[in-house]
Amino acid sequence: MTAIATTEGVIAPTPARRKARGSDRGRRPLLVVLQVLIVAVLLTAWEVGSSAGWISSFLFSSPSGIASVLSNAAASGALWTDIGTTAYETVLGFAIGAIGGSVLGLALWYSRFVADLSAPFVAAIGSIPVLSIAPIMIIWFGTGVTSKIVIVAFSCIIVALTNSYRGAQRADRDLLNLMRSFGASKSQAFLKVVVPGAMPWVVNGLKLNVGFAIIGAIVGEYISSQAGIGHMIVIGSGSFQMNVVLAGVVVVMAMVIVFSLIVGLLERTILHWER
Amino acid sequence: MTHTLEVRDISHRYGTDDSANLVLSNLNFHADAGEFVSFVGPSGCGKSTLFNIITGLLAPSEGSVLVDGVETTGQPTRKIGYVLQKDLLMPWRTVMRNVVLGLEVHGVPKAEATERARALFAEYHLEGVENKFPAQLSGGMRQRAALMRTMVTEPEIVLMDEAYKALDYPLKIQLESELMENVKKSGKTVVFVTHDIEEAVTLSDRVYVLKAHPGEIVEEIRIDLGTDSPRINERRLATPFNDYYEHIWRSIGTAPARNEEKAA
Repeated sequence: MTAIATTEGVIAPTPARRKARGSDRGRRPLLVVLQVLIVAVLLTAWEVGSSAGWISSFLFSSPSGIASVLSNAAASGALWTDIGTTAYETVLGFAIGAIGGSVLGLALWYSRFVADLSAPFVAAIGSIPVLSIAPIMIIWFGTGVTSKIVIVAFSCIIVALTNSYRGAQRADRDLLNLMRSFGASKSQAFLKVVVPGAMPWVVNGLKLNVGFAIIGAIVGEYISSQAGIGHMIVIGSGSFQMNVVLAGVVVVMAMVIVFSLIVGLLERTILHWER
Repeated sequence: MTHTLEVRDISHRYGTDDSANLVLSNLNFHADAGEFVSFVGPSGCGKSTLFNIITGLLAPSEGSVLVDGVETTGQPTRKIGYVLQKDLLMPWRTVMRNVVLGLEVHGVPKAEATERARALFAEYHLEGVENKFPAQLSGGMRQRAALMRTMVTEPEIVLMDEAYKALDYPLKIQLESELMENVKKSGKTVVFVTHDIEEAVTLSDRVYVLKAHPGEIVEEIRIDLGTDSPRINERRLATPFNDYYEHIWRSIGTAPARNEEKAA
């Protein structure tokens, strides 16, 4: 009896997972130190090589050259305008494409007929490279931010749609039957089983789309723009200023990291029960 | 006489009308208020199909299901609740929110649903886990929460499909004892589907033995262990237990499959 009560009283017996997480946590400071060290060594080698003339600073720039471009652009305010423009296009396009695509994908669960009907069209649209469609968007929506927002939305929508639809299709049949046995309507089954059950897929789509969104915005700015990090890179490469080009690349990397962290936070909030 | 649950002339085929796909053949049985009725049989006797037909999740090819004399064939009804081997707790909901799921679907206001569920937590030995997630519970606690989710909606009939199969033996015995107590207190009708003869004999008032290919009732056995104790160990040790066990064992073992009957 006591043994049974003890078995019953155990909560969250997941020692294997905890142990693995524990050892990961122990290793983390070491990993961070090593990662910082690798970056520091590479930057130092690059800087020394460039100063000593072993590496062409015209072709490869130098960390100090990039830092100088960034600090001057930050001081003049141009950097913040460019970052603001690209961030605005990315966030708005992401919201429309990724969130809109996810909602559409989930909604397709309602009608297998509509889902099957639209499948080849979704596949066809998904196969269009954003680079080939971007010039058309610029012609249709102008050289301002609107065309970039549309390009970003286009870059994200199919991945979001297909991911969330797959998630919805994988809704647990036994859970759906349980809902039916309670007399649930189709909407209740959708909201209480399909949507929460598909959330890991939806979040996965959002994570994938962070990269696609930034690529969409930069590609749009490459083709025609008045501001943005893509614009900064194009101007730099047109005038052979490698410092400016690489400064743009550094900013893009930083933006991807920041957006990924935000989506990571979103993931932890939405999938709080998976922790 | 009106029975709480009555199944009349149920046959079910999957696919075409070819008799090879006949899963259930001409099943007739009933269960009354407060009765514990079990179905035992070998693999392929159509227990799960029968379960889905009784719950209304599946419409049979022929026959009808009546609850309190009203036909419910192919129509899920609130009078029937069910518990499966899989606890089917939603991992994204807390235990409390899982337990009130049925009430939520029935449109019971949240405060009232929570209050009704809270009263059951002590009875099912789950106090203190209301706000935990299913992944934080042990297997036994999860099964209790699943049973609570069904019981809180106050169905007249509870269907259980090998609900305790995945649990270790001592825990299974404990949960079965609790189930017996709850059933006796609440006066509900329980229809229990199992492979386990011991489970069927210790829990049931009546046992139906099924044969496979197609599923057919070969025998109805009234169980009287000579004790009213809800404790499974005591029931297991009752003198008539072994006779019933052996009888059912032989009944299952000797139930001929349809092709053997034809050959004979």
